[in-house]
Amino acid sequence: MIEFQSVSHAFDDVAVLEDVSLSLGDGEFVLLAGANGSGKTTLLRHCNGLLTPDSGDVLVDGTPVVDDLIAARSSVGMVFQHPRDQFVAATVGADVAFGPENLGLAREEIDRRVDAALEAVNMAGRDDDRIDTLSGGEQSRVAIAGALAMEPTHLVLDEPFTGLDEPARRSVLERLESLSADGTGILLATHDLRDVTGLADRVIAMRDGRVAVDGPPEHALTELDGLEIRVPEQ
Amino acid sequence: MATEQNSVDLVDDTVVRQFARAALLAALIGATAAVSIPIPFSPEPITLQVLFVFLAGLVLGPVWGFVSLVLYLAAGAVGAPVFAGLNGGVGVLVGNSGGYLWSYPIAAALIGFIVHRGTELRDLTAVWLPVIVGALLAGTIVIYGMGTAYMAWLLELGAWEALSLGAFPFIPVEILKMIAAIAIVRSGGLRPVRS
Amino acid sequence: MLTFEPDETLAHRLDPRSKLAVQIGFAATALAHPTPRALIVLSVLTGLLLAAASVSLRRTLVAYRFALIVLVLAPILSGLSLGTPWFDRPAAVTSGLASYRVLLILLVSAAYVRSTPVRASRAAIQRTIPGKPGQVLGTGIALVFRFLPVLQSDLRTIREAMAARLGTERGAIDRASTIGTLGITRAFNRADRLSLALQARCFAWNPTLPPLEFSRVDYPALVLAIGLALSAFY
Repeated sequence: MIEFQSVSHAFDDVAVLEDVSLSLGDGEFVLLAGANGSGKTTLLRHCNGLLTPDSGDVLVDGTPVVDDLIAARSSVGMVFQHPRDQFVAATVGADVAFGPENLGLAREEIDRRVDAALEAVNMAGRDDDRIDTLSGGEQSRVAIAGALAMEPTHLVLDEPFTGLDEPARRSVLERLESLSADGTGILLATHDLRDVTGLADRVIAMRDGRVAVDGPPEHALTELDGLEIRVPEQ
Repeated sequence: MATEQNSVDLVDDTVVRQFARAALLAALIGATAAVSIPIPFSPEPITLQVLFVFLAGLVLGPVWGFVSLVLYLAAGAVGAPVFAGLNGGVGVLVGNSGGYLWSYPIAAALIGFIVHRGTELRDLTAVWLPVIVGALLAGTIVIYGMGTAYMAWLLELGAWEALSLGAFPFIPVEILKMIAAIAIVRSGGLRPVRS
Repeated sequence: MLTFEPDETLAHRLDPRSKLAVQIGFAATALAHPTPRALIVLSVLTGLLLAAASVSLRRTLVAYRFALIVLVLAPILSGLSLGTPWFDRPAAVTSGLASYRVLLILLVSAAYVRSTPVRASRAAIQRTIPGKPGQVLGTGIALVFRFLPVLQSDLRTIREAMAARLGTERGAIDRASTIGTLGITRAFNRADRLSLALQARCFAWNPTLPPLEFSRVDYPALVLAIGLALSAFY
């Protein structure tokens, strides 16, 4: 469970988030929509303490993020845009192992998690592949595996489809669908809602640092006009 | 969640940023090895590596500039193809160009220390120009001093022979690199991480 | 270009620490003894070490061609003198022997490079150097290997863009400063994104170290390393 309690945040005196309150339940699949500059990325970065609110609180499973960064960062896995810049090792297995290694887990447990995470993104047995030889879609999925190896309850993704072609995009979406089915909460920020609304339990749209729309997809989609969001054509 | 995770000692956020920049600058210095241009009458190809050694000290400061160049040497030592001619290996570090390579971290630290007057980073566009020029000259002297001294010792050469093999052919190009480094920092396009 | 190649040779089975020790011992004794007798022994040893790692002598010499030029020029330059006898043979021979030992050291390190993957080198460093310096070096090396191809392609893009805009007609300083500015700007943008990913994955000072274990074949290698190192003093 991730909770925002009247969170505000400003960069150089420009308000980016203004009094945002929301709560993301375990296992929920939530789409976060909004134009560039609407505050989506800033919102995401509060979920695991990459940013600290100017006022208000963010809680993960009831604990303020600032009080226990390690718990927040292992419960909320995060995948950013540009997977290419998120890898810390030249090969797939060594990269996915990075998170669990930092948690100080035993080697057997790390190996188990790496195998499970690669399995979950359809990359089982690719441990020794060099990351720079992977396709864009494969890189995205390995980045997701890197987050999954922390065994998070929530997975937060910021524009994961940027630069992906259609088959790659679909392969990532399929993985998200199956993770969601297995109970992982998903918060997916995108400005492109094509064929993702069907997967979501809920759509949140941001405008000017505030939550403009929050509701089930069929209801929310009718209210997205004027938010510069690419809505699927009916 | 109070299990083994209590003992995890997270790296501080600003340290992570500096570390990531130091590591990527090390990779960039390695990547410029591929842009080497062989010149006639000189045994060593020209690369832009020294330019980036200057920039490491200027932009990352004495501590992380030093770390960056140490990472470059360490990665090369274990086989990353980052040295001139796209080679790696411990042998290169004790070979004929070993003196130049070992001087890089020292030169970057020295340049950073002179320009930033310590470990707190300053705004480079506000630093008095002669200070930058002096720092780059000092760095260059360290690089060529250590480079030729080691080469002379290693290959049993006299001082004059070592200088004509390992320093004189490069003087004009080094001056160009210094001017380029100054132009880069004066344009204000690169900002040190200060907090 | 020398690089790691997966294989089953004796050298591939050795612990990276034993291989590093052999290289250091070899370099120490070669630097201490530029005499014909010592160099004959060391040449034979170099041959054995190259064979143990299946290193191609020809390819390695090509890879080290720039170093070779210096090593050939040094004795010539050392022998030349202004005035009679014009060529000082003893000086040239001394310098020639000194150059030859450098060649042997380079060849031996080629055996390490061919037989050791990055993760093994990283493990060796983190298990040898304790604490924060070991972690900075180990993770830093992994990052250099990971980002080297990415930044090489950045540099290629920058140079192509410059050439397309009549870049070849610009002055050398202009070109160098453009490459410098764009190269560092791109690298630092990547670094800033990478640092978010490192934080999100709990980058810690005290991770579980990569596994590494001495096996039976390592003991003779360590004995060889110690023998070489000791022989440097005689």
